[in-house]
Amino acid sequence: MLEVQGVSAGYQGSDVVRDVSFRVDEGETVMIIGSNGAGKTTLFRAVCGLLPLSSGRVTFLGEDITGLPAQKVVRRGLAFVPAERHLFPQMTVEENLVLGAYPDKPDSEVLETVLELFPRLGERFRQLAGTMSGGEQQMLAVGRALMSRPRLLVLDEPTTGLAPIVARNAYAALGRLQEQGLTILVAEQQVPLALAISDRGYVLENGAIGLAGTSSELASDPRVRSAYLGIA
Amino acid sequence: MTASILDGIVLGLQFGVLAAGLTLVYGLGGVLNLAYGQIAVVSGLITLLTMEAGLPAVPAALVGLVTGGVLGLVFDLTILQPVYRRHGEARVLLSLLLTLGAAFVIDGYLNWRYPLQGLNLRITGDPLVILGVRMRMGSVVASGITIVVIGVLFWLFRYTRLGRAIRSVIQDEEGSRLVGIDPQVMMRLILVLSGVLAAIVAITRSMVAPVNVRAGFSLTVLGLIVTVVGGLGSIPGAFLAGLVLGIINSVASSYIGTFLSLIILLVAAAITIVIRPAGLLGVRE
Amino acid sequence: MSGRALAAGTSLVGGVETRVSRSLPRLFGSIAAMAALLALVPLWVGDSRVRMGVAILGLAFACYAVGFNLIFGSTGQLFLCVGALAGVGGYGTALLADRAGVPLVAALIISTLGAALVGGLLSWVAVRRSLGVIFAGIITLIFALSFENLVLGASTLTGGDAGIQVSAGSGTFLRQRTAGYYVMLGLVVLCLVVHGLLRRSRVGWAFRALRDDEVAAELAGVDVSRYRVYAALVGSAMLGLAGGAYALIAGRVSPTTYGFAQVDVVVIVMLAFGGIGSLFGPVLGAVVFTILDELLIELGQLRLLAYGALIIVLFLWIRRGVIPTLAGLVRRTPGSPPAPAAGEEPG
Repeated sequence: MLEVQGVSAGYQGSDVVRDVSFRVDEGETVMIIGSNGAGKTTLFRAVCGLLPLSSGRVTFLGEDITGLPAQKVVRRGLAFVPAERHLFPQMTVEENLVLGAYPDKPDSEVLETVLELFPRLGERFRQLAGTMSGGEQQMLAVGRALMSRPRLLVLDEPTTGLAPIVARNAYAALGRLQEQGLTILVAEQQVPLALAISDRGYVLENGAIGLAGTSSELASDPRVRSAYLGIA
Repeated sequence: MTASILDGIVLGLQFGVLAAGLTLVYGLGGVLNLAYGQIAVVSGLITLLTMEAGLPAVPAALVGLVTGGVLGLVFDLTILQPVYRRHGEARVLLSLLLTLGAAFVIDGYLNWRYPLQGLNLRITGDPLVILGVRMRMGSVVASGITIVVIGVLFWLFRYTRLGRAIRSVIQDEEGSRLVGIDPQVMMRLILVLSGVLAAIVAITRSMVAPVNVRAGFSLTVLGLIVTVVGGLGSIPGAFLAGLVLGIINSVASSYIGTFLSLIILLVAAAITIVIRPAGLLGVRE
Repeated sequence: MSGRALAAGTSLVGGVETRVSRSLPRLFGSIAAMAALLALVPLWVGDSRVRMGVAILGLAFACYAVGFNLIFGSTGQLFLCVGALAGVGGYGTALLADRAGVPLVAALIISTLGAALVGGLLSWVAVRRSLGVIFAGIITLIFALSFENLVLGASTLTGGDAGIQVSAGSGTFLRQRTAGYYVMLGLVVLCLVVHGLLRRSRVGWAFRALRDDEVAAELAGVDVSRYRVYAALVGSAMLGLAGGAYALIAGRVSPTTYGFAQVDVVVIVMLAFGGIGSLFGPVLGAVVFTILDELLIELGQLRLLAYGALIIVLFLWIRRGVIPTLAGLVRRTPGSPPAPAAGEEPG
């Protein structure tokens, strides 16, 4: 579904990620793990159209979307939830969600699904997004992305700033979305959480893919275990 | 006293519309349009010329509104394009300089070609008595139109999908892109809207007092001050500040005198900016 | 700061490298050369009283431009009250000398200090409240407008719209066109010397540091607020001094002598020509503009249109100013390092 080939991107002339390639097939959940500064955010921003690529190609659903700006990418069915979430703080939960469906009118079925998934959002329906807790904002960010009925949901470190139990709940929700057949690509520092729901994964180190494989392969790899799972 | 306050409200409403156009553009794009007053003046002039060509007042006014919108669009498509390529303070500064240049170009041409022209829409009708004060029909109609405009703006931004989309770009530009909104398209629409608002200012103001071609810069500066006091980027702030400053100006004028009251207005604005840089209703960044 | 290695003796001003020579003789030499050139002007136009008046005004504007350049170019404070500060000097000198009987020189000094204090105060307020560029611009604009209206309104004192004749200085050499010209030229030299010395001192280093990257400057121990206020004090003093001297030399002041539209706007255009941040830019810009304005006088109001178009072109394509760009082109002779391209501001 998503094919990233030889992508390099960075800021002010110097590349943070170099020649990165990976793919995500329909129905899969793929994780990209790596420590802080490995380049996960830069990679995702480049793929999703928020950052220009210095080289490489991105193909989504058979279409070349290299260099396409973010607002067009989401209309093709790729919804991105960045680590900073970028919600609309002075708008209510309802307004944020409704905007998620832009330019279409919000689909009531989708809205129902989102509210079922995140009942808290229903409780806070008319509350301003800026006044909510971190966990609630994360739910809203994901919910807003879902309102566009994406084929692929891309999340960059969804557990940023969340307490452990809230983070687990977030991944539980992602798990349910996965069951419903949504294709998910997630970048994560908290590897155990991502491992639990992913089919495959890539390890990003210093801007390049170091390892790749299924989740079980990665989970048993000694380098992954020592570096990311804290197992000697 | 009541008369001054009512006059102040009439004035304040116009200040508000004046500021609304400026604040919209700043709130959305971080751009200050110093040629705003010129857009108003040109729209007024076109209305005048259209009336002189034989068209009745209302269609001529519509032509003026369209002129304003078109001018806003032209600005977006031409001199603002390089401005959008910068960010933050560099963007504001460049927008100041380039729109200042544009303002000179327009003023220079207007003063050369139509040096003594001014739009003056006389509204016939006996003065209305409001709260015991005789208000000229022109003031009443102007205020009425302005209130309708405020209502339309409110409805637009609160209840329409487009309005919400525009607000989203103001609140979080990246977030808006993530939901499929193109900030550049929104910016273009806002610029057209601000041009139309500028035209409305010229047309309604001319119902109260003549708006001549030299008024461009005074309008811009006034608008700028009201905008800053109200809070850059806040439309309700623009109208609130407009009313407050309009009333202060009017009351001070009747009791003290024009020059001094203008200074009081300016100083009041300065004090607000210093005490609360975000403005009355501004959002702290 | 920006990670680029800076060649010794150079610095980044607004993203453009300028060479700040440590050599004092070079500084004085250049200023003297420029002064010598300008000193020749009366030879050409000395017989025309009108033309000399224009030349004197041009030099006054050169001082204004140097002052504004110091405040804005060196420390990034957008002071939109150049005319008003000069007006404090001008009206202050005139009123103190004529109405209060203060001796001429003392009146000039007092009003210069007054202008410095006002400018310093505006800067201090902006700094204390951490007001950004636009707010500083608006506050100073408000001051400029208030000053203009104050002068217009207090007509018994200031002559209002019509202005006042300045009797102080009449009958002295100041009113003779040629002598007055040289006095003004002396002021230009003074302003350049002051600015030039500042740039080469520790203060100048601090200015450049905070202009390039405020955060890095703070971390390097530069008290950004203090240096901003210093720049405002010195720059405003220049403005007040020039404004006061002009009042004495021209013999008459009115609101339009120091109005926003007449002064500030023109100063900005001059700096567009001559370059912001360089030492001689303002003077060159003033000279070019004055000549251009005189040549185009037939066009009347259309001049405004021309200047507007020029501002747009200049600030769009030639960021450093016409003169520095041309100089850069000239300097690109074989063997010398290429002048850095005026690129977009980062971030």
